[in-house]
Amino acid sequence: MKIDRRTLLKGVLGSGVVTIGLPMLEVFMNTNGTALAQGEGFAPRFGLFFWGNGTLPDKWVPSGEGDTWQLSEQMQPLAAVQDRLTVVSGTELKVPNLIPHTSGASGILAGAPLIMNGESSTFGGPTLDVLIANEIGNDTRFRSIEYGAAPGGGRSFNGPNSQNPAESSPYALFERIFGAGFRAPGETTEVDPKIALRRSVLDAVMEDSRRLQSKVSANDRIRLEQHFDGIRELETRLARLEEDPPNRAACARPDAPELAYPDIDGRAQLTAKNRAMCDIMAMALACDQSRVFSNYFTYPVNNLLFEGATAGHHQLTHDEPGDQPQVNAIVLQIMTEFAYMVESLSAVPEGDGTLLDNCIVLATSDVSYGRTHNLDEFPIILSGTAGGAIKQGVHYRSTSAENSARVVLTLMRALGINAEGFGVDMGRATESIGALES
Amino acid sequence: MRKIVVILLFVVLGGCTETGADIPLSVRADDVPVEPGEFVVRRLTDAQYRNVVADLISPDIVVPARLEPDARSAGSLVRGSSQTTVSPRGVELYEAAAFTIAEQAVEDDAFQDRYLRCRQAFGSADCLSKFTKSFGRVAYRRPLTTDEMNTLVGIGRNASTTLDDPKQGVIYIIATILQSPSFLFRPEGATDREILNAFELASKLSFFLWNSAPDTELLALAETAELTKPDVLESQVDRMLADEKARRGVRAFFIDLYELDKLDELTKATEIFPHINDEVGPAAREETLKGIEYLVFEEQGDFRDIMTTRRTFVNRKLAAIYNMPAPAREGFAMTEYPEDQPRVGLLGQVSYLAEWSHPVSTSATLRGMFVQQKLLCRLIPNPPAGVDTSIPEPSGEAPTLRDRIQEHLQDPGCASCHNLTDHIGLGFENFDGLGRFRSTDDGTAIDASGEIDGIGFSNPVELASVVRNHPSFGPCLTVNLFDYANGRESADGERDLVTALADQFALSGYDFLYLMRAVALSEGFRTYSMGEVTQ
Repeated sequence: MKIDRRTLLKGVLGSGVVTIGLPMLEVFMNTNGTALAQGEGFAPRFGLFFWGNGTLPDKWVPSGEGDTWQLSEQMQPLAAVQDRLTVVSGTELKVPNLIPHTSGASGILAGAPLIMNGESSTFGGPTLDVLIANEIGNDTRFRSIEYGAAPGGGRSFNGPNSQNPAESSPYALFERIFGAGFRAPGETTEVDPKIALRRSVLDAVMEDSRRLQSKVSANDRIRLEQHFDGIRELETRLARLEEDPPNRAACARPDAPELAYPDIDGRAQLTAKNRAMCDIMAMALACDQSRVFSNYFTYPVNNLLFEGATAGHHQLTHDEPGDQPQVNAIVLQIMTEFAYMVESLSAVPEGDGTLLDNCIVLATSDVSYGRTHNLDEFPIILSGTAGGAIKQGVHYRSTSAENSARVVLTLMRALGINAEGFGVDMGRATESIGALES
Repeated sequence: MRKIVVILLFVVLGGCTETGADIPLSVRADDVPVEPGEFVVRRLTDAQYRNVVADLISPDIVVPARLEPDARSAGSLVRGSSQTTVSPRGVELYEAAAFTIAEQAVEDDAFQDRYLRCRQAFGSADCLSKFTKSFGRVAYRRPLTTDEMNTLVGIGRNASTTLDDPKQGVIYIIATILQSPSFLFRPEGATDREILNAFELASKLSFFLWNSAPDTELLALAETAELTKPDVLESQVDRMLADEKARRGVRAFFIDLYELDKLDELTKATEIFPHINDEVGPAAREETLKGIEYLVFEEQGDFRDIMTTRRTFVNRKLAAIYNMPAPAREGFAMTEYPEDQPRVGLLGQVSYLAEWSHPVSTSATLRGMFVQQKLLCRLIPNPPAGVDTSIPEPSGEAPTLRDRIQEHLQDPGCASCHNLTDHIGLGFENFDGLGRFRSTDDGTAIDASGEIDGIGFSNPVELASVVRNHPSFGPCLTVNLFDYANGRESADGERDLVTALADQFALSGYDFLYLMRAVALSEGFRTYSMGEVTQ
C-alpha cells in the first residue's frame, strides 16, 4: 500500500492549526488486502460535502486552467490532495434567487427553483443524492446515509417537503451502521429470528398505509407513499442483514467514537465531530454498507461560532467590513475539513487503488458570495474519479457561465446513470460537461 | 471589538409599502357562513408522540430521544406536520422507538391493568385478540376493522410461537400499531364527507386542547356518536379545558407560535456572555411558558397583559441574567422584574431577547420581525439577492447600532421593509444579545424611542404597551390559534369566521381559554372541504 495517511495528514494540516488523532483508521494501515476477494469489481460511489454561506469569490477561484493550475488562497488547506481534485469555476445557477441561500441550495442540490406556497417554501424536487441512490443505492444495506457535524444541517429531499434528516451525533451514526445487526466479513453469527418477524411487522404497516392512501387527497397520498417507500426500504435493509455480509478486504468493525461532543466556549466541536463521522463513513463504504453519502458539514444561513471568530458565520458574511478576514478564516476551516474527508476516503485501499478512486465527491455550498447572496461563480470542487470516469487534477473554467447543474448531471452519468437531465424548469440541465469526462 | 448587527432584510422600493394582513375588527353574528379549507392529514409531532405514549401507555415509559424531527413550514410546526411525511430515516427511528416502548409497556403494571387483564394467559388467541381490540382502539383513535384485527393478532401469535415467549406476542402487536400510519398520522376526515365523524372530532379536539390522544371518556362518547350533539360537545370541551392536560395544549401552541423549541439551540459566545450554558435556553422557555400558564389558567386574565406584566417566574440562572434576587433556591418561583429596569412582559424575557439576536450582538431586525410577524401578523418579504448588506463598524460618528443602521433606514430601497422592523427592534437596545439590561452601547447612551404605526414610545415599557393595545394583537392571536387548530392556513371562506372569533375574544376580555373554546366549538373546526380525492 502506497498511501501513508499520517504523512498526508501532516501535509494537509502542516500549518499546525490542529492536531489530529487517528482513531479507527489505524485499521487501514495494517489490513492485509489490496485486492478484493472473489475478484468482484468495485461499484462507483457518490459523496457530497456541503457547507453553508459560500466563499469569498475573489479568493476562491484558482489561477491557471486545465492541468496546470494553482490552488487559490481559500483552497490552500487542500494542497496535499490537489492531485485528487478537480475544480469547476465560472458556472452559475440558473434558478431565480427568491430566498437568499435557500434558492441556491435547491438550485445546486435539486437543480430546481424553490416551490413557493404563500409563506411556505420547499425544494423543487428530489436532491441529487436521492436521485443517485435510486439508481446505485439499491444493492446495499443503506440506500444512502446523511450526516453532518452541525445539527439540523441536512438538505437532502426525497421530493418537496420530504426531507431526510442528517445525523449529527458521531456515536448515533456509528450505532446506526455498526451497532446491532452489523456483521463484519467472515463473522458468521446466527441470523436473529427477530429480523423476519420485524419484516412481517413492516408488511402489516405497509398494508395499513395502502388502505389509508385510498381515502385521502392527492397531496396527502404522495406523503403517505413517501412514508410507504421508507418502510419498504427498511424492509430491504433487514433482508440484507439476513444475508452474508459483503466480503470486503478493507472492512473491519471500527471503534466507537465519543458518546458526546459538548460545546466548548459556546462553540460546537465541528472539527472533532466531522472527523469522527468521516472515519465512520469511510469504513461504512469500505464495508459496502452504502454507496451514497452526504456530509452536510454546515448549513445555509448558519450562524455558528467558528473557532477564532468573534461573531456567527452568517452575520460575519454580511457585516464584516473590508476583505472579511474572519469569513476567509472560516472558509479555510471548512476546506480543512473537506481535505480530511478526501483523506479518509483515500486511506482505504480498494483493489489497486483507493476507495476515493471509486468515489465521485462533490463539494459545494448555497451561494458563492455570502455578502450579496450571488449565484454566479458558484463554488464546486470534485474529488475522486468514479472509477476513472471523471478527470482528476484539473481546473475547468467555464467561459460561458454554464449552468452549475450540468456538473451534477456529469457526475450522474459518470456513475453510470442513464439520466436525460437533472433538475426542473430554469434550473434544469440536459447536457453534461464534456471537459470533465475522461 | 464589538461586531455589528446584520441587516437581514432588504427589499426593493415598494416591497413593504403594503402593510397587508391587518384584520378588521367588527362584531358579527354567531352563525357566520363558512366555506372551509381543505382537510389535511397531520403527522404526530415529536411532543404529541411522547404525550400519547405517556397518556395511553404509561408516563414511566422512556421514549428514545430521537424520532423523526419536526419541521417548520411558514414558521409553524403544526403546518409543517401537515406538509411533511416520514423519511426513510424516520421509519427507522420509529421502528426502534416502537420496540423500545413495547418492551417496557409489557412489563408495566398500569399498562397491564388497563389493556392486559388476561395476562395470565398472554399467548392465547383470545387474550391477544382482546388486547389488540382495546389498545388498537385508543392508539388509532377509532375501532379496528376485522382485517386490521386479524393481521395484528396474526403477527402476535407468530411472534410468540417463533420466539417461544407469549410476551413477545404482545410486544410485536404494540410495535406494529406504533409504526402504522393510522397511529403516526392523524387522518381526521379521511372519509367521503365534509364534516368530521365523532371519532375524528374526538381526536382533533384532544390534539388541539391536550396535544395528545383522546381519553376513554371521549372515545366512549364517540362510540355512541353522542359527541356530535352540541350540548355534549360543549360540556366535553369545558371538561377538557378544566383538565390539567389543557396546560400542555396551551404550552404546545405557544411553543409553536413563538418558536420556543429553538431555544434548545441557542448559540452565544461565552466570552461576551459568561452566563451562557446549556441550561439557559430551556430555562428561558420555561419562564415564558410558566408566565403564560399563570395568566391563562390561574388568573384567566386579559391575555394582552402578557406584554406588560412585571410578574414572572425565574430560577437562579435567569435571576442572575436579569440581575435580580432569585426568588427560590431551587427551581422556578414567582417574582417581579425590578422597577428600576425597563423590563416587562414577554418582550422583556430572555426567550425573546436572546433568540432573536445574534451570537454576540443584538439584532433590531430580528427582534422587530418577531413583533410584526408573530404578534401583529404582518408579512415581511424576503430580502432580494445581489444587495450589499454590510453596515459600518462602530465609529466616533456612529457609535450605536441605531446610528449605524440609519443609512438603511434612509435608503428607500431598504427602508420600505426595515422601517417596519428596525424601529421596533431598536426599542429593545437596552437589552443585550442575551437579554441583560444595559443603559449604554459601547459607552454611548441608548436611545430606545420609536413608533409602531404612528404610535410613539420612548422605552421598552412603552413599546410593550403599544403592542398590547395594537388593534391587530387580538385578531392576530385568533387567526394563529385557528390555523393551529386546523393545521393549515385559513381559507378565504373562513375569514369572516376568524373575524367573528376575534370579536368574541375581545368581548371576553381577551380570555385565552374562551378563545380556545370558541375555536373548538366553531363550525370551521368540524368542517372541511375534500379537495381532490383519489380513489
